[in-house]
Amino acid sequence: MSWIREGELNLLERFAANVLKAGPMPRHVAFIMDGNRRYARKNKVERQEGHSQGFNKLAETLRWCLNLDIKEVTVYAFSIENFKRSKEEVDGLMELAKQKFYRLLEEQQNLEKHGVCIRVLGDMTLLPYDLQQVIAQAVVATRNHNKCFLNVCFAYTSRHEIANAVKEMAWGVEQGLIKSSDVSEALLSQCLYSSNSPNPDLLIRTSGEVRLSDFLLWQTSYSCLAFQSVLWPEYSFWNLCEAILQYQFSYRSLQKARELHKEEQAQQQLESDRVCVAQLVQHGGNGKPMDAHNRQKALNNYTTSREERVHNFLAALQSKRDNFFHKLSQTALT
Amino acid sequence: MALVFQIVWRILHALLHVQRTLISWLRGHLWRWNGQLWNRAFAALLVPLALSFSNHKTMSPTTDKRVCRRLRWGADGRSLEKLPVHVGLLISEEPRYTDIANLVVWCMAVGISYVSVYDNQGVFRRNNSRLMDEILRQQKELLELEGSKYPLEFLNNVTDRQDCQVFSNQTTVKVLSPEDGRPSIVRAAQQLCEAVEQKETTSKDISVSVLDSLLRESKPIPDPDLVLKFGPVESTLGFLPWHIRLTEFISLPSHIDISYEDLLGALQRYAVCEQRLGK
Repeated sequence: MSWIREGELNLLERFAANVLKAGPMPRHVAFIMDGNRRYARKNKVERQEGHSQGFNKLAETLRWCLNLDIKEVTVYAFSIENFKRSKEEVDGLMELAKQKFYRLLEEQQNLEKHGVCIRVLGDMTLLPYDLQQVIAQAVVATRNHNKCFLNVCFAYTSRHEIANAVKEMAWGVEQGLIKSSDVSEALLSQCLYSSNSPNPDLLIRTSGEVRLSDFLLWQTSYSCLAFQSVLWPEYSFWNLCEAILQYQFSYRSLQKARELHKEEQAQQQLESDRVCVAQLVQHGGNGKPMDAHNRQKALNNYTTSREERVHNFLAALQSKRDNFFHKLSQTALT
Repeated sequence: MALVFQIVWRILHALLHVQRTLISWLRGHLWRWNGQLWNRAFAALLVPLALSFSNHKTMSPTTDKRVCRRLRWGADGRSLEKLPVHVGLLISEEPRYTDIANLVVWCMAVGISYVSVYDNQGVFRRNNSRLMDEILRQQKELLELEGSKYPLEFLNNVTDRQDCQVFSNQTTVKVLSPEDGRPSIVRAAQQLCEAVEQKETTSKDISVSVLDSLLRESKPIPDPDLVLKFGPVESTLGFLPWHIRLTEFISLPSHIDISYEDLLGALQRYAVCEQRLGK
């Protein structure tokens, strides 16, 4: 079963898609693909069969998303907590992932045609080494594609991701790239695994569970949440439409909440810059109070230098991450 | 063609609006009707009990009713398979303080230890004392044990802290705002980075548990088990991102004129859900 499915929507589906597209559409949708095991139990098939049916559904859903002009999809494939499952099931899932990523490498041309960029978010070091290698190969091979994006969260939890972001910032401090006072909400967002994606507009969880289970907690603060009762392998185009309708319904209020949040964030940044300037003046100044004009100038100078530091640090972080994948994929080739 | 789609889309959304209002209207009325039934059934059950009570003590009819209610609420709490320790009330619409106070008081009566009230505009943070006063009033109105005998004891038991109040030594009520969400994580991150700057620790020592314990220091409350979201917006609206990892979200159309049965229904839904914690 391949990653990209060819095929068009039927007439009725196309009509529904066009109607939906008359309203605001989500650009980025995240999925918690829950219910594979319950599906297997219900249909009396092997658990592993449930998981591979789930993967097939993912390929189908990606096609629907493309047809609906949704350019970015993030999926929760494997949580760090899932390592607690039976060894047999974990091994089965790792094997399935390995197969699918090999398959992906074989389909490179197809991916290039559609311009699909694959990213894997999570703590790769927790995975078996051969899986790490093939993932790295897939990531490196598709890194320059930019028409649509698929983020696969593998060995991921949101708390782990946030803690890792803090760790990266601390690394930046150790390297002398940034100061601890440069730490801000915006910077933390950019240190997350998902730094290259906009926040999801819509998060869909299937199988009727109504929690986030440690998935994109930071990123979905102002996203629309759609909890649907259908099991993931039974997910249909119409379920997706229903979720989008829900998003459109909340769209205006969400937009307002986001703007309010953005203003607050800017306000906090300004406040923190002011405090830093005041401290600098206290330490380095000659004790004379500054007039309003000079104070503004000092603030502007400080902001520029902070932005420069942050910019350099983020560039260093990105190249550190790129190198990690690059080296891994190199070892796979030799 | 685009125009046709545009029109169909508008009709679709108009229909959706109508459907939602209809549902919330029906809910309100059906519940009220149901509620009456409930009351009658309960009266039939509790009247003998209340009568035997009044042999020992003479009580005014209103106190009588209050005791009945309080007993019933406490019993409801105990009859549930599991009760959340911490319930968050997420209000995404124009707030009405009496209804929110009612919700908080019902939560106390059922036996929930922590209740937090959140909105994304910081309305409750700014009107903290108004909300707390309202809660005290509703608590007296709905729960008061001994009529007017010990009205002061309640007040004495209230320990005043900035935005966190303990009512009758059982339930902690806390007002939360977006300030407690992402910015509190950023503050913890800053603290850790300062420690790294001072060479007190290294980046390698930072982990989920380190960050978690630091965040818990600033907010000594357990993670919410259940968030009840009121209003038309389907979102967490920045509600404590770090803490809602395993939180169940139950969405109710509105908190205006909410009834106790609505709350109980949501708690019953929570009681039957099973968490597998990744397994």
